[in-house]
Amino acid sequence: METNPHIASQLYTNAQNIAKPDGPESGGSSLFAEMANDFMATMQAGESAAIAGMTGKADAQTVVEALAASEIAIQTAVSVRDRVVEAYQEILRMPV
Amino acid sequence: MSDFSASMSASASGMAAQAARLRLVSENIANADTPGFKAKSVSFQAVSDFMENSGQVRTGRVELSSAELPEVYDPGHPLADENGYYQGSNVNLMVQIADAREAQRSYEANLKMFDQSRQMASSILELLRR
Repeated sequence: METNPHIASQLYTNAQNIAKPDGPESGGSSLFAEMANDFMATMQAGESAAIAGMTGKADAQTVVEALAASEIAIQTAVSVRDRVVEAYQEILRMPV
Repeated sequence: MSDFSASMSASASGMAAQAARLRLVSENIANADTPGFKAKSVSFQAVSDFMENSGQVRTGRVELSSAELPEVYDPGHPLADENGYYQGSNVNLMVQIADAREAQRSYEANLKMFDQSRQMASSILELLRR
């Protein structure tokens, strides 16, 4: 059976084009950066509210509200991170 | 998450408003025997920033009760006039206790709503982990 190297290289180029993500970094990374910034802001608000509560400058409701908000932010971030790491490991386990 | 966090901050603002109300009740009861003291009360108003209602509540201006100050007969009192009367405070203890109980119940309702939204937010996140 005769193999045509031209067809093989064309197929390879096609496969490369399929595997390539479309567009240069479309939205995903900037969205993640925004999420991370939001998370950091929530955490900082929680910390400053906790400090203000300890020094008697803030009332209990403010402290509890900020701490609950940062708790939920941590839960979100941890869950998303776990899913991302899991997906990455799934890719690594893929038989080549 | 923004709905959950907005719900939690609305509940927290309600709790803060009820706490301020309870503080005024405490001041009124503490001054129930102060001559000439007028009972304080506060009204609640919705918080709006830039004409947009945020759903939160805050306490408005503190107002003094306009009820008549009672004339108390006590000739031995240093503030008594020549007939033996002085003006007491117009704090009605029964009203103040009822107000305090109402503040407590509203605080509890806000606390329940706070806990409810916190639980809902974390239970939806629970789905993501196994």
